Amino acid sequence: MANDSSFGGTVLKAKTEKRRPRLEDFKHTLKLFVKNKIAFVGFVIVLIYFAITILDYVYPRYLGVSNIDTAASWVKSLSTAGVPAGPTLSHGWWYIFGETLYFVPIFPVMLAALKTDITYSIIIVFIGSSVGMLLGTLSGYFGKLYDEVLMRITDIFYSVPFLILAIAVTTVLGYSLTNVVIALIIIWWPIYARLTRGVALSIKSNKYIEAATASGSSGIRNVFVHVLPNVLSVVFVQFSLDLGSIVQLFAALDFIGFNKGAPLLPELGNMLTWGTTYLTAGIWWPIVIPGIFLLIFTVAVNLMGDGLRDVLDPKLRR
Amino acid sequence: MELRYFILRRVLLLIPTILGLSIFMFILIEAVPKTLLVTPYLNPHSTIPVKIQIQNALNLLGLNYPAPIAYLFYLDRLLHGNLGLMSMAGYPSSVTGAILEALPNTLQLTIFASILSIAIAIPLGTYIGARPNSLADQAGRVFSLTGYAMPAFWLALLLQLLLGKGTILGNPVGVFPISGSYNPLLIPHPAPSWFVNGYTLPTHLVIFDSLIHGDFPLFVDSLEHVVLPVLTLTYGILAGILRFMRAGMVDASNQEYVKTARSKGVPEKLVIKKHIRKNAMIPTITVMGLLVAGLLGGVVLIELVFAYPGVGYLTTEGILNYQIWLIMGATLVFGLILVLTNLIVDVTYALTDPRIRY
Repeated sequence: MANDSSFGGTVLKAKTEKRRPRLEDFKHTLKLFVKNKIAFVGFVIVLIYFAITILDYVYPRYLGVSNIDTAASWVKSLSTAGVPAGPTLSHGWWYIFGETLYFVPIFPVMLAALKTDITYSIIIVFIGSSVGMLLGTLSGYFGKLYDEVLMRITDIFYSVPFLILAIAVTTVLGYSLTNVVIALIIIWWPIYARLTRGVALSIKSNKYIEAATASGSSGIRNVFVHVLPNVLSVVFVQFSLDLGSIVQLFAALDFIGFNKGAPLLPELGNMLTWGTTYLTAGIWWPIVIPGIFLLIFTVAVNLMGDGLRDVLDPKLRR
Repeated sequence: MELRYFILRRVLLLIPTILGLSIFMFILIEAVPKTLLVTPYLNPHSTIPVKIQIQNALNLLGLNYPAPIAYLFYLDRLLHGNLGLMSMAGYPSSVTGAILEALPNTLQLTIFASILSIAIAIPLGTYIGARPNSLADQAGRVFSLTGYAMPAFWLALLLQLLLGKGTILGNPVGVFPISGSYNPLLIPHPAPSWFVNGYTLPTHLVIFDSLIHGDFPLFVDSLEHVVLPVLTLTYGILAGILRFMRAGMVDASNQEYVKTARSKGVPEKLVIKKHIRKNAMIPTITVMGLLVAGLLGGVVLIELVFAYPGVGYLTTEGILNYQIWLIMGATLVFGLILVLTNLIVDVTYALTDPRIRY
């Protein structure tokens, strides 16, 4: 028994020693990232947006209504006659950015909209990147027929512009926002499959993979233990950059009119659709303000992603 | 490999891609309920019972057969240029006809936007790339970052608000019309013979047709209509080209041959023009294909916002009226355009850089 525990002890020790460089590496990465002030500002803005989204889930009543999944609770009158109030400080905090269609206050609905926009975007990018990463890494590592077939399939997805492909797939699935999400997942994985395939190909030719194979590691084990962790950083950068484009695409599809049956859903693209009602009357705030709110997020995500790329790309750092 | 073999190989590679695309479109069509697919093929005024009409339509489309055979029917129709039928008020009943009527307008917008963005981005990218980290460079970075992050349809709405005629009441800069491709009030009441179904002959482009037929006021009006959509489209791709041009310039100016050129006393202007810019163009050309993909996606939204009668606008109308064949046909057409542009980009790439052969 004593022998066993001492044996276990050495294993444990070896493990902690093995881990330390990774932890230091992470600390170093973090330090480099924080140093890049612009990227850090982007990161903080993204965090604020995420915090609002979480608040929408855990304490929706901060917005002053009982149900934030529809703008119905804010509607004052279902007529488009009359002019919505402009940005003003005199009607209290929620009316600071003015009103939009049906005299709904813009500010709280904009905050509620993040629940839809950010949740769906994260779901899309997360599932798309996981599936794509797995297929791409396996394809890059094992190659041969499987690789050829997968790459030809991604070719097809690349031969149609994403927005148009999303339109076609959503039309087939039926008009609803859930189907928009499914359609975007269906078209989004090939990006990751291609990206990770390239990285896996370059990792495959490394000496340590050869060493692992020589010491009896199977192909699947190699993929999960040696290749995937190295692919992750590239995927993570792409993930953060894609969050911005997906939010845009999602809003665009909603704007085109795929949100059948939910005309009052708080969603930034939908809010822009409401705003177009008053476009020719020269009422600018229902269009400009939700758009800026969306733009701040996409710019912040891009700044953060660029910063992450600089830090995580081993060729660029040090 | 010789250039012509490279081009031949590249063209042959198109076939599997286009076939793959048609299979993908067929899978999508198969997933749609059959009743929706045959709806435009039915004639409500016919004396033949609807049930028999549906059966006839299914037989005609090959949808009664197993999927592989139904696909051959579909492929056969595609090869004959038949994209299916549609029933939308004010449009022809053939999808191919409707798309062909609208396609020139879409191509016009994308080509104008491409020319404009390249004409701005190449000199601007050269200027910025020759001065990395200067004030101009920082401004350029902000400009291209916002271009990347800006949703195209929101920019379109903003331009309508800022520059659109009759939007902000008494808007002093509002000069450009915000919807359509021409002002219908400018057309005399019995429309001239070169007007058919709201489209002009022979090119379907009001700008050129009005010039051909000597209608100068209509020409000016249609030019005004094209300004805002083109500006919106340009901004998005301009940002992309600028970003790559700048990176290419910085990359090329660190090369040894640039140092050699400078040390042997070549004037700085010539170094930038002949040694740096020429080499910076190569990576820029490679991304053009990607940018065209973005351009074609953006054109759908922009035509929707500006009600510009191109394929994108037609598609969004089709979405509202649930015209499956129209949406699938437009997707296929956009796919073909993208595949062909990529071919042109690859060939241009091979022509500009003799080192590159696959």
